[in-house]
Amino acid sequence: MIAQAIFSLLLCGVLLYAWAEYRRSPAVASMSVVVSLAGLIFVWVPSLSTAVAEFVGIGRGVDLILYLWVCISLILLLNLHLKLRTQEESITKLARAIAIANAVVPSETVTALSERPRRRGASSRPAGAHTSKQMDDQIV
Amino acid sequence: MRSNEPSTTWVICPAFNEGTTLGRVLGELHGCGYQVLVIDDGSSDATSRIAVAMGSAVIGHPINLGQGAALKTGIEYALAQGAERVVTFDADGQHRVGDIARLIAALDREQADFALGSRFLQRSRTMPLLRALLLKAATLFTIATTGLRLTDTHNGLRAFTRRGAAVLRLRQNRMAHASEILADIARSGLRYVEVPVTVDYTEYSLSKGQRAGDFLMVLLDLFAQRLYR
Repeated sequence: MIAQAIFSLLLCGVLLYAWAEYRRSPAVASMSVVVSLAGLIFVWVPSLSTAVAEFVGIGRGVDLILYLWVCISLILLLNLHLKLRTQEESITKLARAIAIANAVVPSETVTALSERPRRRGASSRPAGAHTSKQMDDQIV
Repeated sequence: MRSNEPSTTWVICPAFNEGTTLGRVLGELHGCGYQVLVIDDGSSDATSRIAVAMGSAVIGHPINLGQGAALKTGIEYALAQGAERVVTFDADGQHRVGDIARLIAALDREQADFALGSRFLQRSRTMPLLRALLLKAATLFTIATTGLRLTDTHNGLRAFTRRGAAVLRLRQNRMAHASEILADIARSGLRYVEVPVTVDYTEYSLSKGQRAGDFLMVLLDLFAQRLYR
């Protein structure tokens, strides 16, 4: 009974987590619900897993759960990988915006390409000052 | 500069800790009158300082993002500055500056939007065998996935027209960007042409280049991208 109680508690925790996650990603949440419900059933009716295992041609119920668990963790791994990628893309965009905002432009190109007012001390700094300021930043 | 008008050809040099070779490469590029843009991809050495001193435009990524990301930053910036042609050029000294003019001539002559450098259209004496086999495998992979029949799929020397550069999405930050560029070219349906260029393999450029093991990571990157789009 002790094992059953502990696992039930854990799986109920997962159910709660799934409920909280539902807004963010319904697919992951529904998957977690299915998995934890199945887990609850197997915990309280262990003979059932053996019956299912025999039906699909796997020897023991424990083996069935083990195989399923491998699949589930692989899916979770993939999900995590995709999340990381999306995050990496955001970081890239952020870094690129910062980089472009701080571009160091050689003065002759700037004067040739755009007609920026060459006013000293104004908010749009003259190209030469801009460059040397940036250069200091780079060196530091 | 050969004329008073600034060139509308922008040469983009992605550089990550290329202080050893960058000065010489930039010197040659400026000597030909191109607009040179160095993307310092979070280098810890003097890369930025050298580029500024040479009079190039310099954009510095605050963190290392990878060559693909650096190219994307460069293309975005160059297009915003009104570039008519964009050239990508490795900072490690493996390309020859004289080849740029041949790529641009090919764009004009063939009415193409992409001119891709190929080291296999002419004989190279300095290429190690393993590298040659790896690049051959990449060629087959490209034919299988994009249908582009190229002799060299991973050459850092390329020239794009403004229209061509604008269709490149470059979402692959790391090395898979070379395959991604080709996929975008195939998708755009615009004209492309391969131009023979010389690649000089030095111990330095080889140490900075890809290793055979990276190929697996490239495949994984490309696979992951298909999954989540």
